[in-house]
Amino acid sequence: MTTTWLVVTDPLDLCALGRLVPGLPVDSIVIGDRALADSSARTGVRSVHWIEPVEGVPADAYAAAAADIVLGAAPGLVATTATAPASRAVVGVVAARCRASVLSGVTGVSEAGDALEVTGGAAGNAVVATWEVSGPLCAFIAPADEAPAPGVAVGLTPHPDAAPRPSRVTVSAAAVASGLADAARVVGVGRGLRSRADLAMVEALAGSLDAELACSMPLAEDLGWLPKDRFVGRSGQQVSPRLYLAVGLSGAPQHLQGVRGAKVIVAVNSDPEAAIFRAADYGIVGDLYEVVPALTAVLASD
Amino acid sequence: MTTVVVFNVAREPAAAQVLADGRLVWPARKLPAGEDDHAALAVAVGLAASDLVGITLGQGDPGWAAARGTSEVVRVADVTVGDDDGATAAALAAAVAEVDGAELVVIGDSEHHPGLAPALAGYLGWPVVLAATSAVRIGSDVEATRRAGRVEETVSVPIPAVIAVAAATEESSPPGMKAMLAARRLPVRDVTAADLGIAAVPAFEPTLTSLPSSTTARLIGGDPLQAATELVKALRAEGVLE
Repeated sequence: MTTTWLVVTDPLDLCALGRLVPGLPVDSIVIGDRALADSSARTGVRSVHWIEPVEGVPADAYAAAAADIVLGAAPGLVATTATAPASRAVVGVVAARCRASVLSGVTGVSEAGDALEVTGGAAGNAVVATWEVSGPLCAFIAPADEAPAPGVAVGLTPHPDAAPRPSRVTVSAAAVASGLADAARVVGVGRGLRSRADLAMVEALAGSLDAELACSMPLAEDLGWLPKDRFVGRSGQQVSPRLYLAVGLSGAPQHLQGVRGAKVIVAVNSDPEAAIFRAADYGIVGDLYEVVPALTAVLASD
Repeated sequence: MTTVVVFNVAREPAAAQVLADGRLVWPARKLPAGEDDHAALAVAVGLAASDLVGITLGQGDPGWAAARGTSEVVRVADVTVGDDDGATAAALAAAVAEVDGAELVVIGDSEHHPGLAPALAGYLGWPVVLAATSAVRIGSDVEATRRAGRVEETVSVPIPAVIAVAAATEESSPPGMKAMLAARRLPVRDVTAADLGIAAVPAFEPTLTSLPSSTTARLIGGDPLQAATELVKALRAEGVLE
């Protein structure tokens, strides 16, 4: 009899629950503070094993200790999201020690006889794929839109003796809150803009949308046209607006990683082959110097 | 005291060919470098106290790494990259074990293979720092910097360790033709799965693939004012302008 586990080191990991085998009891292993453990306990899981990191020690350092707990219960499926490094570190140890298959982009898991049938996106979601896995599986789940609604809490099982590997973490710089993280609408601008003075045109569009202004890394880091806390991307801000309007952005993967949480993505670009159109819900192929003023005018006339 | 850099082991979506019936075709012979490989190599060059050995699999291009600073490349010729990051990691860990004095492994932290670097660390039994953007040696430790939410943090781990590097940008100054040609003369050691004591299992692939219901943006044409009007109307219908 195998068990199903959810690894939680970030609140978003809880959004993996809705994609797991329907009806199967799920045990969770949490590395984090009490609030995260309590949130996990209210999601309908069967048990919550909780490791609380010592101050100055990263959650990643407890990966092996957490894996010991999971491996002690013969895991058949271990799930999490690819959000937090610590969750990934736990999965790595589990996978190696039970020689599990490791799949990512998973959107569904169901039983198929003695095997698991796994569905998900492959090649960057270019296709929907089905895999059949016969051994233990570690699955990085594409998070559902919401975590399960809070219900009756199960008790926590603390593991105060969980020993971390030698490791230290220090916060070297806290980014100043730019308002991007919580913005409902964001206008992002890239190298399609010819000069710094032209930012005024994009700012006017952002103003008519009541949106925050963001940019790609080169505009902030190389050109200095906008403050560094305005650049969105893998090593910059991560945004989850309801609307992300990309102006003159090519759609580099590093930038797109920062807007993955957007509900609707709109792209304005003169190149119909630009990668941004493959990530967008709506697009206008055209010169931003014509389209942006037109959009501003239409919004102003509404 | 050898630093290892793992490269060309991520399948980037841009390399895939999607057929009209939904089948997915990956390059059979040579994979393009992963999006994070150049950043991993740059970090590895900085961390290498002496030798820098590259490790790749059967579809890897040894010259790509040699032109960027590796002194030798080990290629596991009969293992290719599949969807199972665990299987890929097991082969890479066996290859690392073949490198004399390997104590530090640097690898690109591909968003398309989020399990690869952690599983590699798991197979090696070493700690891992994921999503690093830079790293330096401090005595017998490595200090790696990464962004976590709104903060930048520095994580210190003792060597041996795996450092998984996420590229912040595309490669700004790739080597020129002269360096690429010179790199072809540097040594490549081809090994097989049998040499490493592991099974040469085929790359793990889906049993079925199909096209998603919608794959591209709804493109709005016409003159700018007409397109803008139609877009605003569509966004109102989506409820994202309220």
